[in-house]
Amino acid sequence: MKLRIVSAAAALAALGGLHLPAQGQGFKPSRTVEAVVHTGPGGGSDVLARAVALMMEKEKLLPVRMQVVNKPGGNGAVAAAYLAEKKGDQNTIGFFTGVWLTGPLTSAEAKVTLRDLTPIARLVLEPAVIAVKADAPYKSLQDFVAAAKKSPGQLKQSGGSVTSRDNIVRQLLQKHTGAQWAYISFPGGGERIAALLGGHVNMMVIEPAEAGEHIRAGNMRVLAQVTEKRLSGFPNVPTLKEAGFDIPAVPQVRGVVAPPGIPKENVAYWEDVFQKLTKTASWQKFLADNQFEDGYQDAVGLTKFYDEFTGRMRGILQEAGVKLVR
Amino acid sequence: MDILSGLMHGFAVALEPANLLWCFVGVVLGTVVGVMPGLGPPATIAMLLPLTFLMNPAGAMIMLAGIYYGAKYGGSTTSILLNVPGESASVVTCLDGYAMARKGRAGAALGIAAIASFVAGTVGVIGLMLVAPPLAKVALAFSAPEYFSLMALGLAMVVLLAGRSMLKALLAMLVGLWISGIGTDPFSTTSRFTFGQLELLSGIDFVVVAIGVFALGEVLACMEGRGESGSLPVPKGLRNLLPTLQDLKDCRFAFVQGSVLGFLIGVLPGAGSTIASFISYGVEKAVSRRPEEFGKGAVEGVAAPEGANNSETGGALVPLLTLGIPGSGTTAVLLAALVLWGFKPGPLFISENPNLFWGLVASMYIGNVMLLVLNLPLVPLFAQVLRTPGYVLYPVILGISIVGVYSVSGSLFDVSLVVAFGVLGYLMRKLDYPAAPLILGLVLGGGMERALRQSLMMSQGDLAILATRPICAAMLALAVLILLIPLFNKLNAWRLQVLE
Repeated sequence: MKLRIVSAAAALAALGGLHLPAQGQGFKPSRTVEAVVHTGPGGGSDVLARAVALMMEKEKLLPVRMQVVNKPGGNGAVAAAYLAEKKGDQNTIGFFTGVWLTGPLTSAEAKVTLRDLTPIARLVLEPAVIAVKADAPYKSLQDFVAAAKKSPGQLKQSGGSVTSRDNIVRQLLQKHTGAQWAYISFPGGGERIAALLGGHVNMMVIEPAEAGEHIRAGNMRVLAQVTEKRLSGFPNVPTLKEAGFDIPAVPQVRGVVAPPGIPKENVAYWEDVFQKLTKTASWQKFLADNQFEDGYQDAVGLTKFYDEFTGRMRGILQEAGVKLVR
Repeated sequence: MDILSGLMHGFAVALEPANLLWCFVGVVLGTVVGVMPGLGPPATIAMLLPLTFLMNPAGAMIMLAGIYYGAKYGGSTTSILLNVPGESASVVTCLDGYAMARKGRAGAALGIAAIASFVAGTVGVIGLMLVAPPLAKVALAFSAPEYFSLMALGLAMVVLLAGRSMLKALLAMLVGLWISGIGTDPFSTTSRFTFGQLELLSGIDFVVVAIGVFALGEVLACMEGRGESGSLPVPKGLRNLLPTLQDLKDCRFAFVQGSVLGFLIGVLPGAGSTIASFISYGVEKAVSRRPEEFGKGAVEGVAAPEGANNSETGGALVPLLTLGIPGSGTTAVLLAALVLWGFKPGPLFISENPNLFWGLVASMYIGNVMLLVLNLPLVPLFAQVLRTPGYVLYPVILGISIVGVYSVSGSLFDVSLVVAFGVLGYLMRKLDYPAAPLILGLVLGGGMERALRQSLMMSQGDLAILATRPICAAMLALAVLILLIPLFNKLNAWRLQVLE
């Protein structure tokens, strides 16, 4: 990992003729930084951006304030288009998630993709766990899959839209095992949990921190974790591989981009700021509290990640029968 | 901790001078945000979040909640005075509130709205305090099929919102349903009726349509010259500006049913205060002894929805605090705030943080009293707005409407949309199409579509799921009964004719 950062930094230095580590080399945001997110207040990206804004202030990483701007709609398309319009604007950044990559695959109107914006850094990978209601008969993911095989299409999973990570995990599991179960989309995270707790669906893919409280209260049981390594909060729950399902653990990814057409030194500045942020104690605490994984990657690494992630998602969505336009 | 000692403890927390101050700041801010069309509580709370990190969590929670329920008080003001809905939950208030203002009873309407808000706000807190945990469990019995039938029940209210022609009302409702379908398909994420416009991907915001059809449509209609002088009658003297005893008597039932219905609908995470206000208005009209007065300035038509949208706040806090499940934009931001302060909202939240919970409950009693004391004296003041001559007032309404719409999304596209809907609203007025059914269809359309499709995914395409679940079937039956009301009225009229 360290080696990769060093080599990527070296490559960037060669490209831009900069001396690294970049220390802001002259560029500094001149007024309040706009941080664009694609969810309304309270959504995942919104909360992350506000938390980052607070930490920036607390750790004095930015000379100016950071203000969150909500541009919801179209699975990230509206926010991406807004950033594209701000071409060359030096005081705007955006917080992206995986849907900024998968959204344009299914929506013809989403003309701006992440490739059209300036990559800055990947910040976090959010792992997930597979949970059932505490009184459900399934003690392991094997139990659930066996039950799904016995009555195909009868068991149900609640989750987000068809391009969300929840459905990707389901598609991978179904393909791997041959079992079939129904997928019911709920736009709001709260509704998904309510559907599981109310016994209207049998299973869901949920973020560890969200599941944690329901497990502690004895309402939920976790069957497996969608991770490569066991999370510290769930030392006794097997990962997908350990549970006998050899499928990739798809993380929810979050990171930072800038509008197109900004100078290289600005990219270096932002990379530096976010790298410093990820080293702070407040950031480490934030990751631990939410059970996120540190997913820091610089601009070069992020660009590679785009291609790999988009390619993989395209394959999975195609197999799931989702109509793709790109 | 039992309820009484919990509450005593809560008052001890809420009456600390700092917390009392935060409560006051919250309700004042809330009133202001509510009065301004556009800018709503979720955005306000999100903007204030950074400040709350300098405060203790109890004070911060008390202030943010104050903004939430305070906004519901303010929302009715512009609905009544200017026909501009301040919040989505205040759209129904336009119907009778603005009609009252035109008759010179703006003060009475504003006063009744404040009193209904106070009664219902208090009922909401009592509900939150007494029955939160068991009720949250009941709410979990609601899933997609139940939400579908609840919204079908709401849609059936169209027969009560119709003016002279049922056909025109139904047509307006269908247009509303169609508008709700514009945007991105919630399941397949493909786009519908967007004509390649990126701005339409996120759908058409309900506030844009409501402000266009109600406020702009009204201004256009008034500019036709009918009101050369323009200003509406405002009686002199304080006594004539406040609700009369007869008004209060007329609203007895509205206060009670608005409060209770609003709270119960609030507890359901997938419903929301706009639906609560529409259903409460419909119920009030359905049981009223003078339904013909509704839409022409019936005071109950203000009290019921204003009550419902206030007690909904107490209800919406139930799933948030007892399960960590947010049901609306505002509660989602409150949830995020709790997480950022280091709490873990979930089933154990109340028992592990009794100080915060009971402090909040107690502060809501205090906050509601503060709001009543704040809002009642403002009534005569606000009513004076109507003395303004038309050539000043109408441009101001136009300005407020356009700024309000722009402040929600910051998009000029929405501003042109609001103008287009203003023209639609004007044409509807000219052709005698009622606007309320259009709004009703728009409010319910999205959720209803989602709920129906989710139900069918659950049942693998079998419609029987709607009939076999008891709560769902009961609400659908009720919806059918409501649809039969006009038929029943016609039969009754015919019977009377025959008897004569």
